[in-house]
Amino acid sequence: MSNADIALMAHLMRRAGFGATRDELEQLVGQGYENVVENLLNPGDAGVMPDDVIRRYHSEMAEMRELNSAGAYWMYRMVTTRNQLEEKLALFWHGLFATGYSKLNQANALVNQITTFRRHSLGSYKTMLVELSKDPAMIIWLDNHDNHRDNINENYGRELLELFSMGVGNYTEDDIKECARAFTGWTLGNVEYMSTRASRDSIWPYSRINWHFNYRDYDHDDGEKTFLGHTGNFNGEDIIDIIVQQEATARFVCTRLFQFFAADDVNEAGEAVISDMMATYFASEYEIRSVMRTLFNSDYFRSEESRFARVKGPVELVVGAVRMAGTYQEPTFGADQLARQAMYMGQGIFQPPSVEGWHEGAEWIDSGALVERVNFVGRELGDPSNPGVRAIIDRMSRQSAGALSPEEQVSACADLIGPLELSEGTFTSIREFASEQGPADLRDGSRTEADEQRIANLLRLLTATREYQLA
Amino acid sequence: MTTATAVSAGPMEYLKTIGVTTNQSGRGFINPYDCGFTNDGRIMVLNHADAARTALIRIGVLNWDEEYLGEFSKGTGRGEGQWTLPIGMTISNDQRIHVTDEHLHRVTVFDTDGDFVRMWGEKGDGAGQLNGPAGVAVAADGTVYVAEQYNHRVQVFTSEGEPVSIWGEFGDGDGQFNMPWGLALDTTGNVYVADWRNDRIQKFTKDGQHLTTYGSSGTGDGEFSRPSAVAVDSEGYIYVADWGNERIQLLDSDGHFIQSLRGQATLSKWAQDFMSVNPDEYNTRQIANLVPDLPDHLDTPYLISAQTEPYFWGPVSLRLDPEERLFVVEANRHRIQVYQRRKD
Amino acid sequence: MTTTNNDRSLVVVQLTGANDPLNTVIPYADGHYYDFRPNVGIPTEQVIPLDGQLGLNPNMAPIKALWDEGKVAIVNGIGYANPTRSHFRSMDIWHTCEPEKIATEGWLGRVIRDLDPAGQNVITGVNFGRGLPRSMGASGVPVASVGNLETYGLFPDVEEERIRGLCLDAFGKMYGGSIQDAVMDYLGQTGRDALKGADILRTAPEKYSSSVEYAENPIAQSLKNVAQVMTADLGTRIYYTQHGSFDTHGDEIKVHGGLWTQVSGAISDFLADLDEHGRGDDAIVLVWTEFGRRIRDNGTGTDHGSGGTAFIIGNQVNGGFYGQYPSLAERDQLDGDLHWNNDFRSTYSTIADKWLGLDPVNIVNGQFEQWDFVRN
Repeated sequence: MSNADIALMAHLMRRAGFGATRDELEQLVGQGYENVVENLLNPGDAGVMPDDVIRRYHSEMAEMRELNSAGAYWMYRMVTTRNQLEEKLALFWHGLFATGYSKLNQANALVNQITTFRRHSLGSYKTMLVELSKDPAMIIWLDNHDNHRDNINENYGRELLELFSMGVGNYTEDDIKECARAFTGWTLGNVEYMSTRASRDSIWPYSRINWHFNYRDYDHDDGEKTFLGHTGNFNGEDIIDIIVQQEATARFVCTRLFQFFAADDVNEAGEAVISDMMATYFASEYEIRSVMRTLFNSDYFRSEESRFARVKGPVELVVGAVRMAGTYQEPTFGADQLARQAMYMGQGIFQPPSVEGWHEGAEWIDSGALVERVNFVGRELGDPSNPGVRAIIDRMSRQSAGALSPEEQVSACADLIGPLELSEGTFTSIREFASEQGPADLRDGSRTEADEQRIANLLRLLTATREYQLA
Repeated sequence: MTTATAVSAGPMEYLKTIGVTTNQSGRGFINPYDCGFTNDGRIMVLNHADAARTALIRIGVLNWDEEYLGEFSKGTGRGEGQWTLPIGMTISNDQRIHVTDEHLHRVTVFDTDGDFVRMWGEKGDGAGQLNGPAGVAVAADGTVYVAEQYNHRVQVFTSEGEPVSIWGEFGDGDGQFNMPWGLALDTTGNVYVADWRNDRIQKFTKDGQHLTTYGSSGTGDGEFSRPSAVAVDSEGYIYVADWGNERIQLLDSDGHFIQSLRGQATLSKWAQDFMSVNPDEYNTRQIANLVPDLPDHLDTPYLISAQTEPYFWGPVSLRLDPEERLFVVEANRHRIQVYQRRKD
Repeated sequence: MTTTNNDRSLVVVQLTGANDPLNTVIPYADGHYYDFRPNVGIPTEQVIPLDGQLGLNPNMAPIKALWDEGKVAIVNGIGYANPTRSHFRSMDIWHTCEPEKIATEGWLGRVIRDLDPAGQNVITGVNFGRGLPRSMGASGVPVASVGNLETYGLFPDVEEERIRGLCLDAFGKMYGGSIQDAVMDYLGQTGRDALKGADILRTAPEKYSSSVEYAENPIAQSLKNVAQVMTADLGTRIYYTQHGSFDTHGDEIKVHGGLWTQVSGAISDFLADLDEHGRGDDAIVLVWTEFGRRIRDNGTGTDHGSGGTAFIIGNQVNGGFYGQYPSLAERDQLDGDLHWNNDFRSTYSTIADKWLGLDPVNIVNGQFEQWDFVRN
């Protein structure tokens, strides 16, 4: 098993998931890269923390009354799932179809929205857009419940074209109006009561009442519409059928997937991959699974060029650190902190700053966010009692022929939490730290708590580096 | 479309709903987990809240006429009478309130004025130690029974908290448990345990000898999904909170199925107070169908209850008051639905 | 626009959860008040009268003392058109000054940018609490969020002082070197800023001493932290903190009264502390909340309403009432709530312009009539 294989697999798992421990990487390398990609694209039993156990322990997640309960509930899943791509894609869709709690006051509907994304994540983009248009949280978020036969509200129609499919410049204002007309009557059950409760943030009398889709035939404008050059008595499904056939749609969704999974910035080589993804999009009848396969198996994605070409988002960072540390594997007191920590770093789950989602890349990080990132990850990986940290120390212990030099300590730690490629300056700084704090002898018999803490300190420092902020 | 029958025919009659949600101290419930009754007609409700809101944990006091009489709490923490995640409560014949705390792994006893009497237990699996204490029941002679979810056992204590005996271990055989939760006694002192993750109720003698088992996994009549609580009335009828199925089942004294309830809550007195000053909500509520037809993918009892307000959602405890009215405590809906078995 | 007033700072106290205006500034002479508040009203004899019509909640005696010194401006009937009664959405509106659409940039973020356009001081804005309030967020504007001033900074949970020092040294070196990469260089600068901000802020408690003894509650401790930073002369101009929850649907008399005891005492102690350090003329405190509450009580509390009350407090404030106290008569209500009569952006504009010397138009998204609550 070569170091190059490990490094490539680590790259794939950072992108298609939230990262993997060394034990996991060795097992995955044994399966072969393309088989691992296929398994990611065809998820089986997720093996996540069971709902009954969560709901018995966490009254707040059983009730799903508010934001952080819902965020932490999802993070439990990200932390414990075997199907990492399933959750990573759900996170991607959450950023793309960014729906916020602020206007909804309905965490259960947001959790259900993510379930919908998960269900259609790897399937047809057409189905995804139809289900998105029927999603109760989206309907309230973009005011489609106010889109009536006699009085259209363009908000959803506009964003469907601008932010969820084609992007500006590919349709006219008339197309927006016709699109909105086609979605009249797409609303919620008991919409008057539900929207009143939403606008008043009401939990009265007996907590939140969750939402479901309802089609009001009598409020739907069944008249003739002309949309992107097509004419007919279109309903919403017909409009989406036209949308997904557009090259602009293919370009839009493939570019967004590329930026989320491959590189923040698209260069010439990246453009070529996007073209291939677009060809797959049409050849597979808009199937996201096929598009993702094209991306993951591309030479570009596997090349050094795409390594560490993305800034880790806060949720990715938190989940990655927790998975590496092996914590939160069962219901944990104060698990709402998982969601809060990501919020402190600038990505509150279910709290996108606007319908445009988060500004990604380097914009994730400002000085306040950096302090939160460094301190959170340091707490998880700087504690030798956490199972994942213990596993790293045990592995180093098995590989130790003698007391480890500062250089050996740093190299081994950087390897086992990544492999993480360090610049010379970073490496030297941490090596000096290792020299200052003293030797570590991890051999059985000579290994002490102090030795273990020294290794944990190195992990803390390594996760505080610039390099660790990248995926 | 997914529909569910609200009530099957049988002797259970709906009486009323008590409570309303709140996010503050005072009148109203916040994730109620249990209730009990004093000899002088007070109803005590244990409000569990959650780990981020431990300041709101309290026992609220009210009466059958829904007058709020006050509340007590010694606050959060490990001190005398304090709590962190209290989940089970019962009031003994000598008017002592026993509360289990699954985070502090102990039992705390108060008098009915809310004054601390004693406490016992610490985390562990030895005698006198507890791990995740959940349901609690006190026999007529003062013997205390505690179900321990993470030790998968029942532990018996004297009224002073001295360990007497332990039954059970992890497993699905007779007398074994998987995360037991609620626990109840019948008039002869037999012990019924909601063997939560084994989807069954087990019945024992007061000394822990296994007598019989009711139910198995499923959604049919007499089948259970994660039963959380059990109650037995003076004629031996058995009431089961079928938590995972979000329903209540009535069984006869031999464990035969009689009736299933899905819930039919109405506006409590406190809920009506809210509605009277919030006419915009009340008026739109009046035109809403609170038991709607749902899309096919919303097909689990949990998802259905999340959008069907009258239905049970998170029934975590069942208690019979001195008149044998059945109080169904719903953690997720912050209320208690009260039913009574017609005796004819 | 006047010149920037370099030594003046603004302290913002957000009352989260929506403070009940009717039980804060009480229209005790109006019979309607007692009609609508049979269960959740303050008896006349307990009200602290300000004039013959309005009085303060009995738990606000320290505010009354400041009022008597002419240091308290009360803006009644504050709000915005088409009020929402959703906490998050209404907070967003107050944070971003954008009632119509969902915006991302906060008004205080724009204030900080205008105060320090080159971003020379990484702690021009400091939030006391975890997570940045939206009002302080603006692209490219550094703001420090301080949970606990004593332990603020990197690696707070490394217990051994020597090791923490080594970690900080190493961090400085790791983020110091230039790497031929735009993202890495940006991260390097950000890391150095973080280190610098923490280094500066950590000096504040060491320099500070005071005879004022703040109470042991979160708002008092936050305002103590504000005083520590302000008296250390670190160039911080905008301070933010919050307290709650004022979402008093139940048990309002007890909960609301307790919260105001804390807030009133904390503000009074804070201003006394600044006076002791000769800095009392340099700060004003803005106290705001996202909306008001229903006029009619629900038996034990009050539900979400509109039309609120804001306070501006400080030595340099022209004390008195601003805005009209909304009528409680049924015909004047807005869906059962107090009807707002002045836009919150008037208050913001006054602060931005008359206190901080900034052009308010871009800060609050428009031109709004200003009040006279700032002394000149």
